[in-house]
Amino acid sequence: MPAETHSTHEPIGPDEVFATVRTHLSEILEIDDQTITLDAKFAEDLNADSLALIELVEALEEDLGERTVGFTVDDEDLGDLVTVRDAVDYVVSRLGAGAA
Amino acid sequence: MTSDRPGESDPTQLTIAIDAMGGDHAPGAMVQGAIDAVEQLGVRVLLVGDEAAIRAELPDGTLPAGVTIRATSQVIDMHEEPGTAVRKKKDASVVRTAEAVRDGDAHAMVGAGNTGATMAAALLRFGRIKGAARPAIGVPIPVPFAQPHLLVDGGATVDCTPEWLVQFAQMGRAYARLRLGIDEPTVGLLSNGEEPGKGDELRKQTFALLDGQPWFVGNVEGRDLMSGHPNVIVTDGFTGNVALKTVEGALKAAAGLVFTTLGAPEAKEAADVVAPLLLQGVTDYLDPDTIGGAALLGVSGVCVISHGSSSARAIVNAVALASDCVRGGFVDRMQAAIVGEEAYAG
Repeated sequence: MPAETHSTHEPIGPDEVFATVRTHLSEILEIDDQTITLDAKFAEDLNADSLALIELVEALEEDLGERTVGFTVDDEDLGDLVTVRDAVDYVVSRLGAGAA
Repeated sequence: MTSDRPGESDPTQLTIAIDAMGGDHAPGAMVQGAIDAVEQLGVRVLLVGDEAAIRAELPDGTLPAGVTIRATSQVIDMHEEPGTAVRKKKDASVVRTAEAVRDGDAHAMVGAGNTGATMAAALLRFGRIKGAARPAIGVPIPVPFAQPHLLVDGGATVDCTPEWLVQFAQMGRAYARLRLGIDEPTVGLLSNGEEPGKGDELRKQTFALLDGQPWFVGNVEGRDLMSGHPNVIVTDGFTGNVALKTVEGALKAAAGLVFTTLGAPEAKEAADVVAPLLLQGVTDYLDPDTIGGAALLGVSGVCVISHGSSSARAIVNAVALASDCVRGGFVDRMQAAIVGEEAYAG
């Protein structure tokens, strides 16, 4: 079995991805995690600049990469992530693609 | 093989990592600066970049004692988008320079290349100090015949909240203590008028948060830059960068006007006397190479960002600044400033 697609953990669902995103974002932006909702916009609502988003992506890759080997985020897709929901949906789809 | 672990031969000797490929005069100025820094400052230097290009700049091709090379295969150019470039170019010289500090192979880093990429590499590889929302660049603004100001932020964080500007003020004060040796630095908020009600919403809200602090002197205007008062001038990275470039351009224009006037035939006699004095004054107080660089505040490591046109002398001064920051407990001071200045014991 190719190591790149092998995952030894349970599948990660949207709720868990949201919790993970929320935890990392609150640490990166130094804000209360309860203020981070699915509909919150990164720029307008959370004051997250491009570097903060990259911090988030690197944290997610490190965190989720341990559970789903090879999990990465394409930099070209970052511009499409406007809300937290966008990010959660994106990560879930990438995790699904990686596990398939 | 020469070891580049910091302080391996002498635990008190600092190792400073330099992005050898960053800057208009790289790698030549960085290599010569490294050699001079080892000689003049007693530090060790880790040059990070294209090994062949670095070696080509070495006098008689040999590596002097105290200088080591870490070979990398990529360079982040001046025009590249910083965050993306740092993610994509994992073997870029500036990325590996930051990693040398993160991994304990150097005590601090110096970079004169793409400012955004240098900042991004430090931020992403060092991480932020706990509680610091965003980083800021603390830039010394020269003041003729007096101590410099610190301008915070010189361009790291373009869009800011009032709370972030308060953190910039706190970190700026801590840095002013270390960099300028001032026990109780004063802070002003850059605005378009001195009165408390002046400014946009960001300025007004920041003023309200800072008001009442004994060290806060209120709003200051652009004309106060280079006046020497207050010690720290706080603003967002966008305004700060515009202000810096404005000062730089105005100084160049003023110097050009003076020297053009002195170049007139009828001014020759006076010019022979005055021009050398003026040149000395410019070199002593206004030459960016004398300053060496600006420190990145809010990250968990020492990163000195130097001017893109840095000469070897500028690199020596940047290494000296980086060394002073390490020895002065820079990161601990920034951390103490963020959690509350009562915790500061430095």
